Amino acid sequence: MQIKPKTVYFRLNQTTSGKLLPDNTLPSRWHLKACLSLNERREFYDTFEWQAFEKGFVIEKKKNTLFLADLNTGHEITSLPFTSNPSCFFSDFLLPSKLREELCSCSTIRAFMKLCSVDALIRSYRMLDENEKTIAILRSESLFLHGNHDEEPFTYYFTISPYRGYEDEMAEVEKSLMNSQDIDIIPEFRELYKLMMQAAGHTVQDYSSKICLTLDPNAPIRESARRLLQFTFSVMRLNEVGIKKNIDSEFLHDYRVAIRRTRSILKQLKDVFDASETAYYLNLFRDLGKRTNELRDRDVYLLQQATYCHYLPPILQPSLKIFFDTIAASRKRLHRQFSRYLSSDSYKSFLEEWGAYLNRPSHPEPEQIPYAFLSTRSVAVETIKKAWKKVIRHGRLVSRETTDAELHGLRIDCKKLRYLLEFFASIFPKKTIIPVILQLKELQENLGIFVDFAVQLRSLHEQLALMPPDNLLAASTGGLMTILFQKQEEARLKFHKTFRSFDHEQTSQLFQDLLTST
Amino acid sequence: MKTIALYSIKGGVGKTAAAVNLSYLSSLLAPPALICDLDPQGASSYYFRIAASKKFNSDKFLKGNKKIFSNIKATDFENLDMLPSDFSYRNLDIELAEEKKPQKRLKKNLEELSDDYRFIFLDCPPNLTLLSESVFAASDLILVPLIPTTLSIRTFVQLKDFFVANKLDSSKIRPFFSMVEKQKKLHRDIINEFGNTPELLTQMIPYNSEVEKMGIYRAPLNAVLPNAPASKAYRNLWEELRALLEG
Repeated sequence: MQIKPKTVYFRLNQTTSGKLLPDNTLPSRWHLKACLSLNERREFYDTFEWQAFEKGFVIEKKKNTLFLADLNTGHEITSLPFTSNPSCFFSDFLLPSKLREELCSCSTIRAFMKLCSVDALIRSYRMLDENEKTIAILRSESLFLHGNHDEEPFTYYFTISPYRGYEDEMAEVEKSLMNSQDIDIIPEFRELYKLMMQAAGHTVQDYSSKICLTLDPNAPIRESARRLLQFTFSVMRLNEVGIKKNIDSEFLHDYRVAIRRTRSILKQLKDVFDASETAYYLNLFRDLGKRTNELRDRDVYLLQQATYCHYLPPILQPSLKIFFDTIAASRKRLHRQFSRYLSSDSYKSFLEEWGAYLNRPSHPEPEQIPYAFLSTRSVAVETIKKAWKKVIRHGRLVSRETTDAELHGLRIDCKKLRYLLEFFASIFPKKTIIPVILQLKELQENLGIFVDFAVQLRSLHEQLALMPPDNLLAASTGGLMTILFQKQEEARLKFHKTFRSFDHEQTSQLFQDLLTST
Repeated sequence: MKTIALYSIKGGVGKTAAAVNLSYLSSLLAPPALICDLDPQGASSYYFRIAASKKFNSDKFLKGNKKIFSNIKATDFENLDMLPSDFSYRNLDIELAEEKKPQKRLKKNLEELSDDYRFIFLDCPPNLTLLSESVFAASDLILVPLIPTTLSIRTFVQLKDFFVANKLDSSKIRPFFSMVEKQKKLHRDIINEFGNTPELLTQMIPYNSEVEKMGIYRAPLNAVLPNAPASKAYRNLWEELRALLEG
C-alpha cells in the first residue's frame, strides 16, 4: 500500500552563481545541509530485444544487489542479493523471488546482457524545514562511463526525493522549479536511462526481429522487395555478434528466420528480380541456412531439457542427463564450427556480394522484367491470394490418415503465407490483417507442434545409435520417445478440427475483407 | 506485524522515551517500524520533529485506511515512519464512543498497515479511557514502565484489576522498571519486593539525565548517544521484547 513519493529529476541549464538551487526555490526558512558524497557503480541489464524496457522495467546492479526499478519513476520495485558480475544471465539463474518472476515474465529464453556500466559521483544534501526536520534529499549526480573518469561526465543532473508525508511541501518546491528559467525538469527517469544507453553506444528499442517497415502500396514492387531484403539482411547482421558470443539461442533463431524470409521473398517474388541472379542467391541462402540446421536442432533440445525431464518418472530423469550432456557437447562443437564460418573470408565475401547487390542501382527495362514495375499493393494482393488458396487446396487434400509428409508440406505452405502477410502488413489496415494472421497462427501452431515432435522423434532415434550402451539411458530415451509420439498423435488428431476452422466461411470472409481493403 | 503499546495510567514514567527508542531500535534491527503518537501532547512527534498535516485530526485517524496512510510521515531515520499526534486527539474518547465497536476500531485500523510494517509502537496518553481499551485490544504486548515507587506500583495493580474485571487478556501486560535510581533505598526495596513478579521484564531502564536531553537533540537517544547507559538498557530491553514477540 505504501506509495513512494515521486522523485523529481532536473538539470540546471546555466550556472546559479555557485548555489545549488536558484534563489527562491525553497521557502525562506528551509535550507540544505550537505550529508554525503559517494561514488557508485551502476550496471544496467536488458535483453537484445529490450524486453525489460518494453515492460517499463529497469534492471540495475548496484554493489551486491540486483534491483528492478520502474522506468518512469526510477523507484525500486524489488531487489535481490546478487554477488556475481556476469556479462549476461538468464532469468531462471536467479533465486526464487519477485524479481525472478518479473524477469521471467519478460523472457526465459533471452539472456539479460550487461548493456551499460556507469560510475555515478553523488553529492547528497538534506533539505531541512524550519524544525530542522529532513523533508527530502537533494542529490547532484555526475555520470561517467565506467573507466572514463578522466573525461567530462556524459551527463549530470539533480534529483529531489521527498520523504514520505511531505508530498504537499514538495509539490510547492516542484512548482517553483518548473517556474525557474534556470531549470529544465526531466519528466521521466526513462530519459536518463536512454541517455545512459546512448553513452554506452546503444539505442533503446533499436532491434526487433519483426518486420517493421512501412511500405508504400503504390511503389513498384521491386523497390518494396528490395527494402524488405535490406531489412532481413540487417537482421542477419545484427544477430551475428550474439551468435558468436554465444549469448542466447534467439540470436541464431532470428538469424535463421531472416534467412528464411530472404529466401521466401526471393522465391515468392521471383519475377521481380533477374531470374539467374535470384537462383544464384537462393542457392547461397539455402546453403547458409543448412549450415545452421544442426546447431538449431541442438538448441531446441537444450531449451526443452527441463520439460523433457518432467515427462519422465524421477527414476529415469538422471539418465536423461547423459543424453543432454551429449547434446550439449555436440552443440558446443557445432557452435564453434559455425562461429568460425561467420568469421571466415568466404562468409565476408558473401556478405559483401549480397550487400552490393541490394544497394546496386539497377534500372531494368520494363520489357525484361515487367512484373518489377507492378504496384506493391497489386502484387501483395495477388501473392497472398495465391498462397492462401494453396493452403486451402493442400489442406483439403490431407488424407484421413494425415501422414507426416502431408502435414509437413502444409506447414511450409502456411509459413509462406504467413511471411507474405508479414511482409505486406503495413499496406493493409490493421483491423483487417490482424484477424487473418491470428487465424493462420492457430493452424500453424498445430502443425508446428506436430512437425517439431516428428523431427525430435527422428533425431532421438538417430541419437540412440550414437549413445553409450546403458540400460537406464535406453529406458529414458524410450520413455521420452513414447511421450513425444503420444503428443505428436494428439496434434495429428487435432489437425482436421483446426483446419476446418481455418477453411471456414468466416476465415474466407476475413481474407476477402483483407484483399479488398484499401 | 506486531503491535506494542507503551502504556501507563500514570504520567511521567518514561513511556515516550521508551516508545521513541524502542521503535528506533526495531527499525534498525527488524525493519520496518511505525510509531503512532496517540497522546495529544505530541511528545514523541516533537522528538522526531514531526507535526501532523493541518488536514489531519482525530476524525481522520478513526476513519483509518487512506486517511491514515496519507498522514504517515517518514522520520529522519531509515525504515522508521511516524503517524504524528494532533491536538484534536484529546477528543478521541468522545469520538470513539460514537463508533459501533469502539474497542475494536484501533485494531481494525492498524491491521490495514500489516503489509507495510513489521512492528508498530503506540505511545499512549496516561489515562484509562475508551481509547485505552481500544489500545488493549489492538496490542500484542502492553509495555508498562514502572518507576520503583509506591504510587507507580499502585497504578499497575489498578491496571491489572481492570483487566480482570473486564475479562481482558492480562498476559499481554509486561511491566519493566523505568527511571531506576539504585542509589535510592526506596527503589532498591521495591525492586527487591516486586522483582520476582513473573510478567516483569528483566531489563531495567536506569534514570539517565541524557534521556531528558532528548528534548534538546530531538532524536532517539540510541541514535545520538548509543553508548549512554540508558541506550544500552533500551537495546537490551528491545532484545528481550523481540525474543518474546518472535520467540
